[in-house]
Amino acid sequence: MPIGTHWMGWYYLGGITMFFFVVQVITGVLLLMYFQPGEATAYESIRFLTTKVPFGWLIRSMHSWSAHLMIISLTLHMFSTMMLKAYRPPREMTWVSGYLLFLLTLGFGFSGYLLPWNKLAYFATTVGTNIVASVPILGHWLLQVLRGGQDVTINTLYRFFAAHVVILPLAFVGLIGLHLLLIQRQGMAPPVGATAAPRGMKFFPSFALRDLLLWLGGLMLLLTLTVFLPYGPGIPGMDWELGEKANPMAPAYPGIKPEWYFLWEYQLLKEFPPHLFGLEGPQMCLLMIGLLFGIWAIIPWLDRRAYRNQYSQTFSDFGWAAILFLIFLTLAGWDIGSSGATSELASTHNVARVCALWTLAAGVAITIVRYFLYEHRWFVLTGAALLHVALHGLAGLSYLVAGTISLAAAAFIGATMRLLRSRSSGNQT
Amino acid sequence: MKTAAFVLASFLICVTANSAEQSAVASIPKLAEMLLAKDQNGKPIITPEEQAYYNGLNDRLKELLDQAVQKETISRPEHLSILLGLQLRPQKMELLLQNNCVLCHSDSANQTPDTLFVINPEPGTSSRMNLKQLVDDVHFQRGLSCAGCHGGDPTAELGHAHVKEWPEKDRDKNRGWVVQFCARCHSDPGLMHQFNAALPTDQLAKFKDSPHGKTLMEKHDDRAPSCVSCHGVHGIRPAKDPQSKVYARNVPETCGACHANQATMAGFKRTDGSPLPTTQLAEYRNSVHGKALLGRGDLGAPACNTCHGNHAASPPGIAQVSKSCNLCHSANAGLFDGSKHKQAFDEHNWPECGQCHGNHAIAKTHDSMLLTGSGQLCGDCHRQYAKEHPECIQTADYFRQTITQMDEARNRFVAESEKLAARGLDIEPINNQLTELTDALKKSRTYIHSFTRTSFEQIAAPGEEAVKKTDALVNQAQQEYKYRQLGLAASIAIIGLLMLTVYLKLRQLEK
Repeated sequence: MPIGTHWMGWYYLGGITMFFFVVQVITGVLLLMYFQPGEATAYESIRFLTTKVPFGWLIRSMHSWSAHLMIISLTLHMFSTMMLKAYRPPREMTWVSGYLLFLLTLGFGFSGYLLPWNKLAYFATTVGTNIVASVPILGHWLLQVLRGGQDVTINTLYRFFAAHVVILPLAFVGLIGLHLLLIQRQGMAPPVGATAAPRGMKFFPSFALRDLLLWLGGLMLLLTLTVFLPYGPGIPGMDWELGEKANPMAPAYPGIKPEWYFLWEYQLLKEFPPHLFGLEGPQMCLLMIGLLFGIWAIIPWLDRRAYRNQYSQTFSDFGWAAILFLIFLTLAGWDIGSSGATSELASTHNVARVCALWTLAAGVAITIVRYFLYEHRWFVLTGAALLHVALHGLAGLSYLVAGTISLAAAAFIGATMRLLRSRSSGNQT
Repeated sequence: MKTAAFVLASFLICVTANSAEQSAVASIPKLAEMLLAKDQNGKPIITPEEQAYYNGLNDRLKELLDQAVQKETISRPEHLSILLGLQLRPQKMELLLQNNCVLCHSDSANQTPDTLFVINPEPGTSSRMNLKQLVDDVHFQRGLSCAGCHGGDPTAELGHAHVKEWPEKDRDKNRGWVVQFCARCHSDPGLMHQFNAALPTDQLAKFKDSPHGKTLMEKHDDRAPSCVSCHGVHGIRPAKDPQSKVYARNVPETCGACHANQATMAGFKRTDGSPLPTTQLAEYRNSVHGKALLGRGDLGAPACNTCHGNHAASPPGIAQVSKSCNLCHSANAGLFDGSKHKQAFDEHNWPECGQCHGNHAIAKTHDSMLLTGSGQLCGDCHRQYAKEHPECIQTADYFRQTITQMDEARNRFVAESEKLAARGLDIEPINNQLTELTDALKKSRTYIHSFTRTSFEQIAAPGEEAVKKTDALVNQAQQEYKYRQLGLAASIAIIGLLMLTVYLKLRQLEK
């Protein structure tokens, strides 16, 4: 266990994620003992479980809470790995396997959401699966495969159930085995630049016992949240009150939102116009999301400095820019700042303005910490992300126009800075 | 080879179809000219929407339009624009184009403002001459066109001959004739059966007997309404049509047009000689009935005609007030009829329901109506008229206390149930009891109208029982929540102890 210059806390995020996964497995198996998939039984069995079965409420609430906590810790784990460049050789496959685990976790969230067959889940799944229809060429076919028909019906629940309890767990266990095996073989990543860890900590017992301590803390937190907030914190997209049973014949109601970790995609879809460059807006948006996910997957091969065991400020900056990008879209997806608006247009402007202000505040705080604490000197991409939200939220430009201007500005500044650096290094020689 | 033949055949079909279309336009050059006409600024007079509407018309309608243009009943592109701008369905358009009266009377070049049908009459002008309303008129749609009432021949190029039943002059001064005129058809069951077998034909008989009818037809007072006052003139719609003046939600405004107008109502008196008030509409709007009908659009709520009648509209007499209320509030009225109050009210000649609840301004009832103190409804009346029955005051107090207790308990349980639900507890049994309680509360409020303690007790008993049961269930759920909190505290203590043990072990190992 290397002890480097950075905070050791980052090393525990993988462990706590696995702890929440173990909780998921245990509570999931217990839920499975009562859950009966079917049009007349899915909702009723969950209702029976939570109201009549002793500790049934506890099991369902723990399952939901640990799902959200798992996604939080997994996201933090992924970003910390990215910032600390732990993906550099020989750990590229550890990054890729972790990345795939992240995608599978999102799949768990999406498939599990529909299983109680309640109104909220039904409409959110209808909206969520609709996005797939925008995939070029294969969209309609994929939608049919995903839903098991044209619409979200009980057939959709059957296949989501199969995916949630069989397909995804099998894939997840295989990948997590590979992930752990790689970590076991290659050890934890040492700090960038260190040829060998100056000091070390034994995995057994020192690190393992610390991990155990954190797991026990996690369990304590989980139980407390379960008792005091059994249906979640009440934030849209983080709420699992059973409510009414799904009724496919009922009209959809306004304000349906996906789970919080899908909000940024949902908001990005809203920012695209109906048509762009000869393609439909949602198709372009999906292409963009696909591109972003693709770049994220191959970061170990893109970051050439990290490849040489050197610290790359550009990629750290890229990571922070991604965080600011996600913050703005997630806040906007939550309609932060919409209260008091008299019209839909005014509400959209208010949301963009308020979310931009929050993102700018977060960006400034992050930049100050990076500048003084970590002595970073490359802020081109975070600058572009902040310019993007400022142009959109404060100057009123459309999201895409503001994004294009910001990217162009970042490319220009980045190229100029590199040119100046190469000239100054040439002069020195 | 086959492909080439197919392409050639398709081309020939297209060319033939295209030339056929061109020849259709070419056959009506005058109409085509009008369709392409431009104003002084070079702007097309026929808008693209009107042009598109014309293009969508079938051949029959295009032919009728052409004929109208040839005969010069449509002589100007501006006039054509008005007609196309109506965007009528084919059947209506056919009726319109066959009606020379309307064609002529919708062209401003031929008419004075009084005789011109326009699409958007200026505010303040007579709405009789609204072209849009005319083509939606129920009579117009069923084939009774202008000539049906005005006489003449609608297919003739020019012809004005009023029917015999119309007074030759001063038609607007003494409008009693209107009723007789409409009744020519509407009192003829054989004729009306052809159009709507369910439509009554006794309107004239009822109207003649009503205060409206007597005022109009016997006293010849033109302030009294005739048929057109309520139903309109050229834009008459069925009563079930939401745009009809006699549609339930529009009735208060229609009646109020006269009854809320002090000038119109001046001089009219009640049977007791007092002036007829003009506050009914304002009172009704604020009443529980008015809010339901006009505010929420609840068509089950009564409008003026529900209690007063339609063609036989009259103020209900003292004896009839409860009969009107009984139409909807039958349970309350039935209980009242069997109570001691019935006899007492009859002796005093009081209007049963109206005595406590009022008439046009009926407010939402409240349990405080049962208060027995000075200045309160029950208390004041009983102290004045039923001094010999002091037990009645006690009964009223008992009613109010019982109902208030149930209502307060219900509100408390609802709030508590929401709190428990948010804490993740099973509130289904509580909600079941709350349904029982709500039901008993409603019934108890109804049974006040029996004014009998024993009847009321029987109905209120399940409610009081539900209060006890709900209370027990709420306590049980609260205990369950405490148990959960206790369990959490114990779990945290155990986990904390484990954490401490691990920490100490770690320190020991690292020493």
